[in-house]
Formats: sequence, structure tokens, C-alpha cells
Amino acid sequence: MNKIWWKALAVVIMTYVIFWGLLGPVPRQPILNESIRNVSFHVPLWFAMIILLVTSVIYSVRYLRKGRMDDDLIAVEFANTAILFGILGCLTGAIWANFTWGDPWPNDPKLNSVAVGMLMYMAYLILRGSFDDEQRRARISAVYNIFVFAVFIPLIFILPRMTDSLHPGNGGNPAFGKYDMDNSLRMVLYPAVIGLTLIGVWITQLRVRLRRVKVAMDD
Amino acid sequence: MTESIRQMGALMRKEFLLEWRQRYALNGMLLYIVSAVFVCYLSFNARRGQLTPIVWNALFWIILLFTAINAIAKSFVQERAGRQLYYYTLASPQQIILSKILYNTVLMLVLALLGFSVYAFVLGNPVKDVPLYLVALVLGAIGFSASLTLVSGIASKAENPSTLMAVLSFPTMLPLLLELLKISKNALDGLDRSISWKEVGTVLAIDAIVLVLSWLLFPFLWRS
Amino acid sequence: MQRTLFFKSSLLALLLLSQQVMAQQPVTNGVEMADRLRADGKIWVVVAVIATVFAGIVVYLIRLDRQIGKLEKEVQNQKKDVRQKTSDLN
Repeated sequence: MNKIWWKALAVVIMTYVIFWGLLGPVPRQPILNESIRNVSFHVPLWFAMIILLVTSVIYSVRYLRKGRMDDDLIAVEFANTAILFGILGCLTGAIWANFTWGDPWPNDPKLNSVAVGMLMYMAYLILRGSFDDEQRRARISAVYNIFVFAVFIPLIFILPRMTDSLHPGNGGNPAFGKYDMDNSLRMVLYPAVIGLTLIGVWITQLRVRLRRVKVAMDD
Repeated sequence: MTESIRQMGALMRKEFLLEWRQRYALNGMLLYIVSAVFVCYLSFNARRGQLTPIVWNALFWIILLFTAINAIAKSFVQERAGRQLYYYTLASPQQIILSKILYNTVLMLVLALLGFSVYAFVLGNPVKDVPLYLVALVLGAIGFSASLTLVSGIASKAENPSTLMAVLSFPTMLPLLLELLKISKNALDGLDRSISWKEVGTVLAIDAIVLVLSWLLFPFLWRS
Repeated sequence: MQRTLFFKSSLLALLLLSQQVMAQQPVTNGVEMADRLRADGKIWVVVAVIATVFAGIVVYLIRLDRQIGKLEKEVQNQKKDVRQKTSDLN
């Protein structure tokens, strides 16, 4: 195994998050009650997804600049893992929403934009499937990846903030104002973001290595 | 600079000429939007002014979206590889994409205005602030043509362009469409214009992002 | 006697300490939380289950990592062999 330390770090951080997220002190909020602990498990999924998507776009740009097939491979796998986290985020969000807002899919701008974002990235995978030529697939899907990312960011950050949403931090307030987040939650949330991102990178790295082996065997 | 503008003018002229020679395609698009409006009119079985403003508005934009996808999808698909190679020797990719976007914007404006007038004619016109609605149409035409031109360029390289065109374009159009719906709803209700400025700004920003991206990314598409 | 007293007092201290951790802030604004679950110590059951699930996933990931590492090495060795053979032929 190459460079084991960050994997160990990911495991340590996530273990801390699981323990302290369930046992540590949390603020008492009316509607949320005990389910506020989900902040340490549901919210980091989105942060990790965004970080993975940014990485994917960076690799796509690098592919277009340098034209190495390896970069394209990494970009796809980061996008794949990001989609996995996105689907998990949707599911956990639906479970949580069912208890606090009384509806698994309330008509909330943030939910809808994320669903559209998922559609975009599914379209990305479909686009990749419809090419035979590798070079061409890599180049065109890199172009689409960058394009989609540029549309996705306003979709999830700017649009929901302009309308009323059930999520905190929308309708004009900055996200994570002093109302909902206090330091005890932050102490779990931020490590959770780092830990989950590292886990995502780990999964991605495994898949990339598997693909590289496949490519090497084909040669 | 003047040279490149002249070249772009020539490319634009070529687009218009091509369209004019294949008049059936243009007429087809015009007929497409008119008949789509008429189908909606008949299937809602609505007498004038019976649709609620929300339905009226949403229906119009959905018709426009489908028309745009159909109209712009052919901007790359229709051109054969040989001709594309010929352009490649003549002009830079940036000029080609810009001329295509400009041409498609004009096409979309014609289609949107025609669609709007027919739609208002058969289904009644509840719009209280027509100038603002027209602003929304113009912004929509620019945004639709910019993003759809790039997407059609992407789709035309793949195996089955028509299906892919729809799959790729719907989600990418959505942010734009949502904001446009909001502006046009405000125009429909005749709200004070200051309320809509924020949305107009967002649409302008999205248009700008899409235009810049097309400009930057198209050369990479072109090369393959 | 002495011993049991010590034991009892240390147990008491531990209990108090755990109370501190478990009970969090006192009920100030009357929002209902799962304080009972914490006081019972049943929360540990939940923690244990989730931690086990996570541990299982980690073990799975590590095994996968190892296997892929082995594969990588094999492929590299094969390539070297092939290269050597071709150079021998030349």
C-alpha cells in the first residue's frame, strides 16, 4: 500500500466523528430535537461531494491542457464517487426530512436543485457511454464536465439562497449562522467533512488503480 | 480585430444563406412552434383566459424549451464532416462558435416572438407588463442559444445525437429556465419592476457564464 | 471495608463524570431530547452498532486496497517479463 497515513487519518477522524457525533453535547433546538445530530452525518456528505466534484473538474481541465488519458480516468472516478455521495446525501436527507418536516421530499429549492445536479452528472455518465473512441470520449466528456460544473454551482449555491427554503442559511441568511450552529457541533462537522472527503478519495483511488490495472492488462 | 469581425460577419452570412436555401427547415421550425401552441390550446380545451397565470406561463416556456432544443440541435448535426473540415481551414473555432450562437439567438428570437404572439392570440394575453416579458424572452433566447449550441456541438460528436441532446440539455437549461419563469411570472402579474432586477441580474450572469464557457471550451470540441 | 469504600467512591465519581458527559446541558428551554437514552447508557448500543458497521466497511476497503496492490505488482512484473523476452528476442 502506498502512503498509508492519510487512510489511517481518515479512519481515525471518522471514528471520532461517529463517537463524538453521537455522544457529544449538541444544542437543543425545538423542531429538530435529538435529530440535530444528523448535522454531523448528513451535511458533510454534501461538502465532500462538492470537494470531489471540484477535484474532478480540475482533472478534466488538466486533461484538456495536457491530454494525458490518466487525468481523464481520475476525473471520471472522482465524479463517480461524488455521485455516490450525492445519492447517499439525498437518501439521508429524505429520511431526516420525513421526521422533521413531515415529508420525505418537501418542495424545497435546495432538494430540487440537487436532484437536477444529479441528473446532470448521470447525463455525463451516459454521454461517456456513447463513445467508442477513447480519445474522443475523454475530450468531449471533459468539456461537458466543465460545462456542467459551471452550471451546477450557481444552481446549488445561488438560486436556493434567493428563495425561501426550509434549510437553514437560505432566504438571505448566511449559511450556518449563529442560530443553528454552535461550537460543539462545529467540532464534529468540520472533521467529518475532512474525514468523509478522505474516505471518498480513498474509494476513488481504489477505482482508479483498478482501472489502471485493466488498461495495463489490455496493452 | 476588424479582420476577425469581418470573418465572423461572413460566417453569419453563410448561416443565414444556408438557412434560406433550406427554407423547408426554417418553415418547419416556425410550423413546429405554431402547431405546438395549437396542440396545447386544444388539449387544455381552454377558452381564452381560462388558464391560471402559472399554468399559462409554464406552458409557454416549456413549448419554447422544446422548440429551442429542436431548432438548435441541428446547428451541428446538419453539417457534414467534410464541410466542418473546410471551415476548420478557414476560421478559428472561436469565430465559428460565436457566429453560430449569434445566428441561433436571432433564430430563437424570431421563434420566441412568433410563438408568443400566436400563444397570446389563441390562449389570451394576461401579461400586464409586456416590455418586461419581452426582456425575459430576449434573455432567454441568448441563454438558450448559447448553452444549447455548445451542447449540440457535444452531442453531435456522439453516436445518437438526438437522444443525447435532450438528456444533456434539459438539466443544464434548468437554472436558466427557473429564473426566466420567475421573471416572466412577475411580468405577468405586473409587479413593480424593481422586484425583478435581482432575477434579471442572475439570468445575465448565467448567460455570461455560458457564453464564456462556450468560447473557452469549443476549440477542444472542434479539434476532435 | 476500606477497599469497598474506595471502590464505591470511585464508581460514584465515574458515574458523576459520565453523567456530566451524558446529560449535556441541563434542560434549559424545555426542548425534548433523548436524555433518557443517554442516562440509561443505551446510547452505547447505538454507537457500538454504527462503529461496527463502519469498521466492517474499513476492513473491506483495506482488503480491496491490498488486493489491488497485489494486482498492480503482478501486472508490473508481467510487463517486465514481456519486455525482457522481447529484448532477448532482439
